[in-house]
Amino acid sequence: MKKMKKILALVLALTMVLALSACGSQPAPTPAPADTPAPAATPAPAEPPADDNTGADEPTENVADAITVWVYPVGGWGDEAKVKPLIDKFTADTGITVNMEWLAYADGDDKVNAALTGGNAPDVIMEGPERLVANWGVNGHMVDLADMIDDTDREEILPAALEAGTTADGKVYLYPMFNVAHCMAVNYTAVKEAGAEEYIDLETRTWTVEQFDKTVEALYNKYGGTVAAVYCAGQGGDQGTRELIRNRYGTKLTNAEHTAYTWNTPEVINALTDLKNMPGIDFDASLAGGDEIAKFYQGVLKMAFCWNAAQQLDPNQAGTGEGKTLSGDEIVYMCFPTQEGKDPEEGSGVWGLGSFDTGDEARIAAAKVFIKYMCDSEHCSEAGDISNFFSCRSMAEGVEIKSSNPLLVEYYSKMMPYMGEYYQITTGWAGARTEWWNMLQRVGAGDDIATTVATYEANANAAANAG
Amino acid sequence: MSKELVRRENTSAYLFLLPSLIFFVGFVVIPMVICIGYSFTDANMNSKTNPTTFVAFQNFIQLWQDKTFLGALKNTFLIVLVSVPTVCLFSLWVGSAIYKLKGPVLSTFRCIFYLPVVTGSVAVTVVWKWMYDNYTGILNYVLSRTGIIENNINWLGDERFALWCIILILFTTSVGQPIVLYVSALGNVDHSLVEAAQVDGATNSQVFWKIKWPQMMPTTLYILVITTINSFQCFALIQLLTSGGSGTNTVMYYIYYTAFKMTEQVGHFGYANAMGVILAIFIGILSAIQFRLAKEK
Repeated sequence: MKKMKKILALVLALTMVLALSACGSQPAPTPAPADTPAPAATPAPAEPPADDNTGADEPTENVADAITVWVYPVGGWGDEAKVKPLIDKFTADTGITVNMEWLAYADGDDKVNAALTGGNAPDVIMEGPERLVANWGVNGHMVDLADMIDDTDREEILPAALEAGTTADGKVYLYPMFNVAHCMAVNYTAVKEAGAEEYIDLETRTWTVEQFDKTVEALYNKYGGTVAAVYCAGQGGDQGTRELIRNRYGTKLTNAEHTAYTWNTPEVINALTDLKNMPGIDFDASLAGGDEIAKFYQGVLKMAFCWNAAQQLDPNQAGTGEGKTLSGDEIVYMCFPTQEGKDPEEGSGVWGLGSFDTGDEARIAAAKVFIKYMCDSEHCSEAGDISNFFSCRSMAEGVEIKSSNPLLVEYYSKMMPYMGEYYQITTGWAGARTEWWNMLQRVGAGDDIATTVATYEANANAAANAG
Repeated sequence: MSKELVRRENTSAYLFLLPSLIFFVGFVVIPMVICIGYSFTDANMNSKTNPTTFVAFQNFIQLWQDKTFLGALKNTFLIVLVSVPTVCLFSLWVGSAIYKLKGPVLSTFRCIFYLPVVTGSVAVTVVWKWMYDNYTGILNYVLSRTGIIENNINWLGDERFALWCIILILFTTSVGQPIVLYVSALGNVDHSLVEAAQVDGATNSQVFWKIKWPQMMPTTLYILVITTINSFQCFALIQLLTSGGSGTNTVMYYIYYTAFKMTEQVGHFGYANAMGVILAIFIGILSAIQFRLAKEK
């Protein structure tokens, strides 16, 4: 009996230890979404949209009166104050209440993945094709929106954007909304003080590798320390480092079919070697894209590789004026440097709306009404303006879509012609992004560059093939 | 005591336990069982396109060939081996230095050491991140101004320093509770035994190790187990500061990363659960050793 008690006590003690190990950890921080607004005012009961401009092509009779929309902070769509008037207008026009929720890039994927696993996915989500198409779409979580796109839409929507939102077998999991060419930026005031303004062509915003290197050298000689950082603390903003590196000698990081990674090339190895050996350029494993922007805005760094139109309009989302650093220095956006005579290929950013397959036809119908309203109606211009990017379509239901902001108009004419292909839909993209920043960390730590590039490219391909 | 009385007392005791038991079973036991079950499958988020199948021990076999996991395991053990003894020794030292203080002075010290515990881990981590900042952090500023370093140190971006920086933060957030517990335990030591030993000519050191220390063993055991578990499960600091980079990956972070970031990988849930099982086994073994050693003492 005594022995039995001992065994029982031991079992209980071990159970308690395991239980403590299950709950004894410091709770993981769950950074709240930027803002979690209250649902919009209760609208009138949902009705099918009154006219074709605001609703789905053929509204079903059974349309839910409330939907949930999750939004990643894509440009100005991360700002609740800017988005809310449009959402209120949608509710007033359609009678569908929208429960908006803003995600953060830091934990947005976790939240969506947990919701998908738990069967609580939102009705609509805003993000790019790498998530909506290459991940959730091909894995059966999204609704095919092909029935929402007719021949007129195909003429009006930017072909590259529509292609990015469509799978190889023709399923549309992302209705394209807006796009932008990612670029880099320089502190022009600092450049002038360093006497290097001759290398900056304000007319074309393009420059050669040689001009870039001389600008870095001038800034380094003037200010010392780190002129620009090849940031690699995580995947945030990694398009900047990818475009910087691949443009230097002109190469692609994936194959044309977007089925394999091809960055183990002399071009990438040489670019990394150049950057590693360049005084003023540091491979910084303590910064991710957002941190780099903050340091650039503070004037600590003199160049930023994580830049686009939205950043130029509102640097660091600080609300201190377009094209200015914290101290008022002038910011100039530039293409990534290339070899003489070669056009740059800026990083392509495409965003849009998708609908999760919740299994509830009424909610899916309501989600389509929302998508139609934002992406293919007279309101799509306003939706694009909020983003500070560029609408993916020229016309919508007979209304011309174009930005009126002079900076955006200029940015569009100078940068958008150089927008490269959207390769972020390559199989195993999430794993490849991790391999990329880990590779940069190893290069920064001093590992042999050729071996490191080969290893991490192989890892990315292995992960892609395993998935 | 009559059988009826025993039965009634037992019944009321179990009824009092019931609410806790429901939560314990619902949120600890059942998830643990599910976790163990999933660890033998290739469960993943995309069950519509990749139905879950039983894979027996495949996940566990794969773990021992996974260099990232082995690296994370090594880092986790390093954290445990460094932080557990230092936390225990430091808190014992501070506890024995301050437990005799009276009133507000003692409370002040308790507050100072307990503050990092009650402050949210995110807030603490953000402040440390500012201090460690490569460009504008106070650490680099002080060290360079005093001439100790010539060039700024990238504390969180250099693998020579990053893990130690995290251990330091873990240390500051871990010592608060043990100090309070040791102060309490030292205050509860039977004073008559201490006086008797002093009368018999025992030195301060002898009084501490022969009289006080044995009476504090239950407290020490609790501190050891809790600190070990917390060190094994170091996650928030890694996620907020380095995302597992700069040589700071731990098993807990790798579990999270595999489960929620690598969702394109077939079997990512099963693989992450297998890691969880391995981690729990290690914690269980280490805790059992600590129980055993404490019992022998």
